[in-house]
Amino acid sequence: MDRTSRPRSRRFPALVAAAAAAALMVTGCSSDSGGKKAEESADNAAAGKADTPRMKVALITHAAPGDTFWDLIRKGAEAAADKDNVDLLYSNSPDAAKQANLVQNAIDQKVDGIAITLAKPDAMKAAVAKAKKAGIPVVGLNGGIDDWKEQGLLEYFGQDESVAGEAFGEKLNELGAKNAVCVIHEQGHVALEARCAGVKKTFGGKTTNLYVNGTNMPAVKSTITAKLKQDSSVDYVVTLGAPFALTAAQSVGDAKSKAKVATFDLNKDMVKAIEDGDVDFAVDQQPYLQGYLSVDALWLYKTNGNFSGGGQEPVLTGPAFVDKENVADIAKFAAKGTR
Amino acid sequence: MTTDNSSPTGAAAGTADTGAGTEPGTGAATSTGTGAGPDRGADGSAAPIVELRGAGKAYGNVRALHGVSLAVRPGRVTCVLGDNGAGKSTLIKIVSGLHQHTEGELLVDGEPVRFGSPREALDRGIATVYQDLATVPLMPVWRNFFLGSEMTRGPWPVRRLDIARMKRTADEELRNMGIVLDDLEQPIGTLSGGQRQSVAIARAVYFGARVLILDEPTAALGVKQSGVVLKYIAAARDRGLGVIFITHNPHHAYMVGDHFSVLRLGTMELSASRSEVGLEELTNHMAGGAELAALKHELAQVRGVDVEGLPEEADLRAPVTSGAGAPAPSVPTAPPGGKDS
Amino acid sequence: MIPVSQATAPAASDSPPASPAAPKDGRTSERSLARRVLARPEIGALIAAISVYVFFFAVASPFREASSLANVLYESSVMGIMALPVALLMIGGEFDLSAGVAVTTSALTASILSFQLSLNVWTGVIVALVVALAVGAFNGYLLVRTGLPSFLITLGSFLILQGANLAVTKIFTGNVATDSISDMQGFDQAKKVFASEIGIGGVDVKITVFYWLVFAAAATWLLLRTRFGNWIFATGGNEESARAVGVPVTFTKIALFMGVGAGAWFVGMHILFSFNTVQSGEGVGNEFLYIIAAVIGGCLLTGGYGSAIGPVIGAFIFGMVSQGIVYANWNPDWFKAFLGVMLLLAALVNLWVRRQATRR
Repeated sequence: MDRTSRPRSRRFPALVAAAAAAALMVTGCSSDSGGKKAEESADNAAAGKADTPRMKVALITHAAPGDTFWDLIRKGAEAAADKDNVDLLYSNSPDAAKQANLVQNAIDQKVDGIAITLAKPDAMKAAVAKAKKAGIPVVGLNGGIDDWKEQGLLEYFGQDESVAGEAFGEKLNELGAKNAVCVIHEQGHVALEARCAGVKKTFGGKTTNLYVNGTNMPAVKSTITAKLKQDSSVDYVVTLGAPFALTAAQSVGDAKSKAKVATFDLNKDMVKAIEDGDVDFAVDQQPYLQGYLSVDALWLYKTNGNFSGGGQEPVLTGPAFVDKENVADIAKFAAKGTR
Repeated sequence: MTTDNSSPTGAAAGTADTGAGTEPGTGAATSTGTGAGPDRGADGSAAPIVELRGAGKAYGNVRALHGVSLAVRPGRVTCVLGDNGAGKSTLIKIVSGLHQHTEGELLVDGEPVRFGSPREALDRGIATVYQDLATVPLMPVWRNFFLGSEMTRGPWPVRRLDIARMKRTADEELRNMGIVLDDLEQPIGTLSGGQRQSVAIARAVYFGARVLILDEPTAALGVKQSGVVLKYIAAARDRGLGVIFITHNPHHAYMVGDHFSVLRLGTMELSASRSEVGLEELTNHMAGGAELAALKHELAQVRGVDVEGLPEEADLRAPVTSGAGAPAPSVPTAPPGGKDS
Repeated sequence: MIPVSQATAPAASDSPPASPAAPKDGRTSERSLARRVLARPEIGALIAAISVYVFFFAVASPFREASSLANVLYESSVMGIMALPVALLMIGGEFDLSAGVAVTTSALTASILSFQLSLNVWTGVIVALVVALAVGAFNGYLLVRTGLPSFLITLGSFLILQGANLAVTKIFTGNVATDSISDMQGFDQAKKVFASEIGIGGVDVKITVFYWLVFAAAATWLLLRTRFGNWIFATGGNEESARAVGVPVTFTKIALFMGVGAGAWFVGMHILFSFNTVQSGEGVGNEFLYIIAAVIGGCLLTGGYGSAIGPVIGAFIFGMVSQGIVYANWNPDWFKAFLGVMLLLAALVNLWVRRQATRR
C-alpha cells in the first residue's frame, strides 16, 4: 500500500536546474535582428550648459506612475534643468490632495520656482496661494488652461484639451469621416472626457464614447472589437493614448472592420504604425515641450525677469498633427523617446 | 455515495445505541477485551511502549510540568486527569513531538528519544487526536481519513489518487471500529462531534498507531456523544493500542481507564492502577470541597444519560456504589437493545 | 452544506434503538442526483452564466454571432488563465494581490532582457518564467516563514513589483514602455505559441481560449484526483489539522504561490507577443478581477472550498457582461454601473442556487 506522504520537493530543485540550464543553452543563440544593437546607432546631441547660479525648481504633476505621456514631460523638464543648471525636484500624485501636499513640501524646501499641473484647480488653490505668499514663482503646464490666470500663475504652457479635441474633430471632417468611436481608457478622467467632448463638438458625424479598462490590454482589445461588431458603420476609432491606438489597430483587424484609427499623443511605436498605415494620424500636444518650457521659463524669470504671455495668454504647445506626410521628420526624435 | 450498509445493526450511522459487541467486525476483539477485564489492574503485564521518567518542561521561568512519570502499555488505557492549567496539554505536547521536555526522560520502546516534530512521533507510532479534531470540516469523510497519507496509483506525472480503494478501505476500517456511515462523500463537518472523533481515532488506528493520545476527546461533546467516543477508545484498546486519555472528567476516565494519573499544578498528585483507586477517590483527587458538590451533580447527570447512551446501568453504578477497588469491566458488555429512554 | 449536516447528525443519534433493523438513515440517501449536482460549487455560477448569456443573446443582436462569442471568450480566457491559479491559491486559504502586476513583471522581463542583450526572444521567455516563479516562491516563503497574513505580504510585493516594473523599465529603455521586439529572432515562433489564432468554422479563435480550457481541465484533475489537490483543500480548510496529520502545508503554500507565478508568466507572454511592447504601468487592479472570477465561480473567500471549473465560469461571466454591454450599445457612461449590477445579479443567482441545493 502506498502510504508515503513525502512531498515531491526533491524533484523541484531539479526542475529549476533544468530551466536554468535550458536558459543558458538558449542564451547561446542571440537575435540577429532588432534589439538594442540595432538601436544603438541613435546619436545623442549634448547641449551646452548655463553658468548661472544653481537653482532649485519643483515640477509637481498629477501623473499616475508609468504613463508614457508624463514621462515625456519629465524628460523635457530634465533636459531644460540640465541646460540651465537647475536642480529639478520631480514629484507626482494623481490624487489632488496629495498633489497639494507635494506643493507644500516644495515650499518647505524653499525652492526657487514651482511648475504644476492644475488638473483639479480648486484643490490646488490654497497651495498655490501659499507658494506665492512665500515669494516663489509658479508656472502652470499641461492642465488648468481655464484657471491659471485666476490663480495668479506666472504663465502657462500646454494644450487646450478642448481645442485639441475640436481640431481633431475638424480633421475628421476633412477626411470625410461619418461615425467615430472615442475610446476613453480611464472613466471619469477630466482631460480625457474633454478631448472626446471636443471631438464631438466639431465633428460633423456621429461620435460615441467607449470606456475601456486601460490597465488590461486584452480587455481593451476585446471591447473595441465588440464595439466595431456592434456598429459596423464606424469608420474612425479615436484613441486618447498611443498604446491604445496600436491595440485598436489590432481590434480593427479582428473585427474585419474598415474603420481607421486616429489618436491623441505619440510614442515611438506610433511612428512606425503611421508609416505602415495602421494608424491614420496622431495629434501631438508635445509634452516634452511643456516640461522643457516650464522649467526654462522659471530659469529665465529668475535670471532675467522674462515671462511669456504677459500673464494673459497661455503658450500653446499643441495640437500638432502627425500623419504619413510628416512622420518621417519626427521619426528619429520619437526613436530617442523624446517626442 | 456509498450505500453498502448491508448490516442491519449498522443502524443510524454508528450511534450510541449499538453496543460494540453487536458489530460483526469488533465482536471478537470486544469479548477478549472484556475477558481481560479483571487482570487489567496489573500494569506490569507488558513492556511500556512510551514511558516518561521524571519528565518536566519549563517555558523560560515558568515550570509547566515537573517530575512526571507515566507508562503506556499496549492494550491499556492510561488516563491523565487534571484541572485546566494542571499541565495536561504540556504533557501531550511532549509525547506527541510538538514540544521537547527540559528535564527527565522520554522513552519509546525503552530507548530515550527527543522528538523534533509531530511527524517523528508519528513515525514511531505515536498518534495524537487533538481536541480540535484534526479534521478538515469541508472535506469528505474519506478524504479526511486518508489526509496526509493518500493512496495513489500510476507513475508520476500522472500519479493520481486511488479513490475507489481509499473509499473502500475507509469504509472497512470505520466499520471495524464500529462506525457505519452511509455516505463517505459527505463533508466530515456534517458529522456529529463524537463521530468526528471516532473517525479520527479510526484513522490513527489504521495508520499503524501503537499509542493513541486523545486530548480531551469528550470535553466539547454532549453526554451521548461522549459515550460514543468512550466506546471507540475501548475498541482501540481492544485492538492492542496503548491509549493516553486526557480528560478532566473522572467519570469518563473511570469507564475506560486502567491506570490513572492526576496532575495538579504541573506535578503528579496521584498515580494508581484501577485496582488501587475508586471513582470516588479519583473524584476527590480531582477536586476538593465545594467543587466536589458541583461535580457530584454533574456525575449524576452523566450517569442518568449514560444509561441509554453506553454501558449497562449496573456496570456504571458498580464503581460508584461499591466504592474504591471494585474492578469493573469498562467495555460495554450490554446486549443489543439495552436501556433506552 | 451546513444545513445538511445539522439535519444528518441528529438524525443519527435520534434513531430509536428499539428498531436496529430499520433501513438506515434514509435522510441522507434522499440526496437525489439533482440535489447533489446542485451542491457542486460551480453549478450556481453555471446557471448564472447561462442566464447572462441568454439575456445578452436576447437584447444584443451582434452578440449572437459566433465571432462575438470568440471575442468574449478571448477576454475571458486571458483573465481566466490567471483566475485558475488564483482560485487554487484561494482554496488553499491565501490571496495574492501581486498577481496583476506579476503579469506585467514577467512580460517586461522577457521583453527588456531580449531587447537589451539582443537575444533570441525565447531566452527572455525562459528567464521570465524563472523570475515569475521566483516572485511566487518569494511570496510563499515569506508567508510561511513570518506567518503574516498573505493579504499583507502580497500587498507588499504588489507595491514592490509595481515600483520595480516602472523603475527597471526606465533604467533600461529610458521610457515607461518597452521597445518593440516584433522584429527580433524567435518572435514569430513565440507569437505562434502564445498569441496566435485558430480558425474554427470561419471564426478566428485566439489560442488563449484553448490554453484556458486545457489548463482548467488540468487544474480540475490536480484538485480532485491528486494528493496535492487533497493538500490544497486541507491547507485552506484547516491548516493546523492538516499540519497535524502530516500534510506538507509549507510546501503546498509555496507551490500554490509559484503556480500563480506560472500563470502570470503565461499571461505575460501572451500580452507581450500579442502587443509587441508592454507598458510598465499595466496590470494594476487586475488582481481583483482574478479574485472576483474565482468568487463568482463559487470559491470560498476563506479557503477550503471551491473548484477549478468555477473560476472558468466566473471569468466567462465577467467577459460576457463587460462585452455584452458594448454589444447591446448601452449608454457607456453607465458602463461600470451596468457591470456592477450584472455581476451582483450573477452572484445572487449563484447564491440562490446554492441555497436551493442545501435547503431541505
